[in-house]
Amino acid sequence: MKTFLKIFAIVLALASCTQAREIKLLNVSYDPTRELYLDYNAAFTKYWKAKTGDDVKIDQSHGGSGKQAQSVIQGLEADVVTLALAYDIDAIAQQSKLLPADWQKRLPNDSTPYTSTIVFLVRKGNPKNIKDWDDLIKPNIKVVVPNPKTSGGARWAYLAAYAYALEKNSRDDAKAKEFIKALYKNVPVLDSGARGSTITFVDHGIGDVLLAWENEAHLALKEYGADKFEIVTPSLSILAEPPVAVVDKNAKRHGTTEVAQAYLQYLYSDEGQEIAARNFYRPRNEAVAKKYADNFAQLKLVTIDQEFGGWKKAQETHFADGGTFDQIYQQ
Amino acid sequence: MKLKWILLTAFVSAQIGIARAQDAAVSGMNSDIDALKKEIQALEQKVDALEQQKTQQQSTTQVEDLDQHVRILERKREIDEENAAATAKTQPKISVGPDGVKLSSADTNFVFNLHGLVQLDSRNFYNAPVKGVDGFILRRARPIFTGTVYHDFDFNLTPDFGGNTVQVLDAYANYRNRPEFQVQAGKFKSPVSLEQLQSDPVTAFNERSLVNDLVPNRDLGADVHGDLFGGVASYAAGIFNGAPDYSGTTTNSDYDNNKAFVGRVFFQPFKPTSISFLQGFGFGIGGSYEADHGSATGASGLTSGYTTDGQQKFFTYTNGVFASGTHWRLDPQANYYWGPLCVAGEYVISDQQVAKGAAKTDLRNRAWDVTAGWVLTGESASYTGITPAHPFDPRKGQWGAVQIVGRYADLDVDNKAFPVFANPNTAASSAHAWSAGVNWFLNKNIRVNASYSHTIFAGGNGTGATVTKNPEDVFFTRVQLVF
Repeated sequence: MKTFLKIFAIVLALASCTQAREIKLLNVSYDPTRELYLDYNAAFTKYWKAKTGDDVKIDQSHGGSGKQAQSVIQGLEADVVTLALAYDIDAIAQQSKLLPADWQKRLPNDSTPYTSTIVFLVRKGNPKNIKDWDDLIKPNIKVVVPNPKTSGGARWAYLAAYAYALEKNSRDDAKAKEFIKALYKNVPVLDSGARGSTITFVDHGIGDVLLAWENEAHLALKEYGADKFEIVTPSLSILAEPPVAVVDKNAKRHGTTEVAQAYLQYLYSDEGQEIAARNFYRPRNEAVAKKYADNFAQLKLVTIDQEFGGWKKAQETHFADGGTFDQIYQQ
Repeated sequence: MKLKWILLTAFVSAQIGIARAQDAAVSGMNSDIDALKKEIQALEQKVDALEQQKTQQQSTTQVEDLDQHVRILERKREIDEENAAATAKTQPKISVGPDGVKLSSADTNFVFNLHGLVQLDSRNFYNAPVKGVDGFILRRARPIFTGTVYHDFDFNLTPDFGGNTVQVLDAYANYRNRPEFQVQAGKFKSPVSLEQLQSDPVTAFNERSLVNDLVPNRDLGADVHGDLFGGVASYAAGIFNGAPDYSGTTTNSDYDNNKAFVGRVFFQPFKPTSISFLQGFGFGIGGSYEADHGSATGASGLTSGYTTDGQQKFFTYTNGVFASGTHWRLDPQANYYWGPLCVAGEYVISDQQVAKGAAKTDLRNRAWDVTAGWVLTGESASYTGITPAHPFDPRKGQWGAVQIVGRYADLDVDNKAFPVFANPNTAASSAHAWSAGVNWFLNKNIRVNASYSHTIFAGGNGTGATVTKNPEDVFFTRVQLVF
């Protein structure tokens, strides 16, 4: 009997060792990354299968970055988060303790494998002759941009406009506030996410200019045709750094820690960087960036740290309840 | 004179020349005026055209502005709807319906249900000298709290305020990650009897049959249970404190160190097939085993008595008798449902070792019953009840569902019980009961029923006034509210 049990145990162990597993990952991301991660997931699945023999099925969830972070805090079982800004992942770390506070140090470039910026998408021929941020505060201009309370892209756009106003007004904060107030006076609709704003501008034909992620603007050209829209690059914008992180406790509970880590690390690989560049995200890898240089306009880019003292301060000053945005948008 | 004519001629010629010149000048002026008029007209036309163009442009701008305005309003409405839908997803949900009140967290991780069961009965007995009390009785009055926490953990807390005692009837938690394998712990029905396991609001008669005297009711313990192959087979196996036969009022603690092992399997082999007349056929067997050790002075570990349909005790052990050894039950059972027809039956053996002083014996009591019903209004009968196709509403000419039911039941006490362990003058050695009734399901929540039961006894007809001296005839009614 004992011999039989031993043989049975060995057979069972061998079977479990040799059997390929199917692993499920949930990537909770922000609005405009759908296409990027569709491409990337296919590549990673292939890579992981070749490396381990295991099948990985990656589910994607997209929405406004702030809303997505709240969903994870409230129980959405994300294995990884790939959000629009570090503050949203900080919120997950602080409020739910699902990952450590120093999560951003775990991967290169502060865990931002690609960057982006904010540009203008206008209708073909640029009928309102929009060239730079100044043009957005003219009385007859309608600007489409999402709500910074819920959208990461909208926060980047807001800060890009603010940075421009500061530079133009010799860093006079009061004048910058007046500028941003005038700009949001021209915003007729606040969507909750970047994709919603694209739909507002493109599908519903609302507004004269869309403040868009660079990749989202290119996607609109690609999907709807360059004969309908064109991209205007302002003189100054902001270096948007969308970060990525493993949600440790969820991944541990799901037994997916290893594959989740590999999933994010592979974003830094040559293939990962190529996929990012093809989807109009600015790659970190210099060689890949050089190869795709034509995809990205050259412009002055300020950083959140230099211009606003980091996300924590920017959040408290501008986007927290009662912050600058509430003050200028309610007025 | 000649000079005069010359001068006159010259003067006239000059006048004529001047006149001609003047004519020529006037003629030129007129053409200039015409040209100017034409220019003015052209200019006026241009002005008109420009004004029209301007008006058109203004109109176009206004139309464009209006168009934008409408689009913006439409989009805002869409966004408001999206936001409302998104907000709704994060809000707790509450619903009220025939199945009670349901509260659910937004992520459905936490669900809380409030159900209720109220049964107001009347009983009228027709045989003297000893008979039950005629009158109304609040048979059951139960708020039923059920729910789920973290998706897979169900719970049930059911107190009962009916009858003469308040008791915690059910209180258990059930882990239900997969229907095939569930783990339940707490106080709940011991999985033995088909009739006992049927929910109280849907039994055919006010009271369960004589079979119910020999099976356990609620008990404290834990079991594993589940449904296999889509309900073709179900099983339950557990360990419990051990309930005596017919435990009308359940206790919340054990009286000895021994535990009962209880199990049941039930098969519905045709359930997934297309053979409709066999889909509702099921059979199975339940059983229990325990080493009971009561005492003559403390808890006896025995039943407080076997009761009739009218809830009168027709058999009790004499004082000083106690459980002393093994107690096992075997309960083969079957039921059949096909359209409006229902038939159910079971046969149970309860084998109990008892002692009184130095006397000791093994009593093997038996009971069986067959219950049948037919829904006159055509609805399908089922183990979980009948739902009227046309709920009661006289204004629409709808009257609910009506079912007729009949039952025969028999209980036979081991003759070895007499006379040492039971008094043959007061306790019957057997009871045979038939019952007939009508159930009226007004809707899913309200049921009204009436039935008649006739029970005859063997033995127990001594010289004194006893329940068993005459047959028991009792007329029942019930008004039931369940949600």
